[in-house]
Amino acid sequence: MILLDPAHGGVDSGSRITDSIAEKDVTLNLAFKLRSLLAARGFNVVMTHDSDSATEPNSPNPLTLDDRAGIANHAHPVACLLLHATAAGNGVHLYSSELNPTAGEPTANPWLTAQAPWVVQSQRLQKQLGTALTRAGIPLVMSRASVRPVDSLTCPALVVELAPDGSDATSLGDASYQQRVAEALATALVFWKNQAQPPDRLPAAIPAAPFPDPTGARP
Amino acid sequence: MISRHQRILFWVLIGCILAMASLLFWERERARDRVSALADATPIDAPYTNTESITLDLANDSDGSITGVTRQIALPDEATARARALLEHLVAEYALPGSPHPLQSGAAIDDVFLLPLPLNGHAIQTSTNPTPTGATPTSLVADPNALQPQSPGGELAVIDLRSNFVNAHPSGVEVETLTLQSIIGTLHANLPQIEQVRFLVDGQPRETLAGHADLLRTYPSRDTTVPDVAP
Repeated sequence: MILLDPAHGGVDSGSRITDSIAEKDVTLNLAFKLRSLLAARGFNVVMTHDSDSATEPNSPNPLTLDDRAGIANHAHPVACLLLHATAAGNGVHLYSSELNPTAGEPTANPWLTAQAPWVVQSQRLQKQLGTALTRAGIPLVMSRASVRPVDSLTCPALVVELAPDGSDATSLGDASYQQRVAEALATALVFWKNQAQPPDRLPAAIPAAPFPDPTGARP
Repeated sequence: MISRHQRILFWVLIGCILAMASLLFWERERARDRVSALADATPIDAPYTNTESITLDLANDSDGSITGVTRQIALPDEATARARALLEHLVAEYALPGSPHPLQSGAAIDDVFLLPLPLNGHAIQTSTNPTPTGATPTSLVADPNALQPQSPGGELAVIDLRSNFVNAHPSGVEVETLTLQSIIGTLHANLPQIEQVRFLVDGQPRETLAGHADLLRTYPSRDTTVPDVAP
């Protein structure tokens, strides 16, 4: 199983790529293409939302970042891809969690460091996807970043940020460019399927999404 | 012979002239007092004795790098005020024309708090043996998840950002991450006792800076000029 999280949605349009292209539209379109290609390769694909409204199931409430992490953690996927888009740079930017995979990470809130045991697996997945993108001739940037909610995911997880093809930001809306990137990612995930392993260091207890504060404040 | 109504008009005009002259004199005195107050050189803040060499970790959007640059600025001696002044200088650099990491000008830092580690937290431990009255006794035990220092004297820096700065911040994984790394790296370079960094916005926790970078996490203080590349 693969989990895809098209970032943003609904009233949260993400970054403004151009006057007519919002980040949420690019991420959702890329997710649809990737879902089709993965399904064709025999994957079971779960998306945190498959419409622009990005609401909780059977509820008008908007999907929070913790909700997205909860959907991912309950699905137990072999890979979680958080899809973003930006007008800066070019090609594809792959980010794995900044958490320290070994001891020493501050653990004041286990929900916010749940990814730590999976960081090594996430970095292997990052390398695998990076290799496939390079072979497809797509410029690549690999780094580490703490992007919500990647640090709360209990699966090999990456932030996949689609940047323009060259210097033209409007290329982010180009279906053929999105298709090219999606094919490279899908090809890499086929190889990854047989390599995914449980993490070396499991947390004492797998955290669940924290119970929402009645006041609406996030813990 | 001057008519009566002309005499009345004359004295009314004389009265108006005198009133106008009094008003002008009073306004002149007020303006003089105002200028004198502005020119008052009495110090309000504690004096910053000398300029000193500090390192600002500046971000560059074009290549996603962080570079340490040296500046000569005057800073207060007190650590909290020093951290705040450092970060204000850092953000002011980004507001300059031609900045490689352009951010909105204006006050960005509401306050900085330096807390000694470990943080003294307590957790409620529930006993498994109920009392004879049937109540479940509880007791306070040391919080096992309390943030611990890596070395004696280590501190947690809590940076309270202003919402107008956060709301105007450009959105994107890289640009947001660079801002946080720049802040963390600058604190690390100049205040080595800071081991961990947390962020608030207007005194409240906030999930992300501008939709991407995590503001709930406790960041370890580190040298961000060294690229944090994946293996």
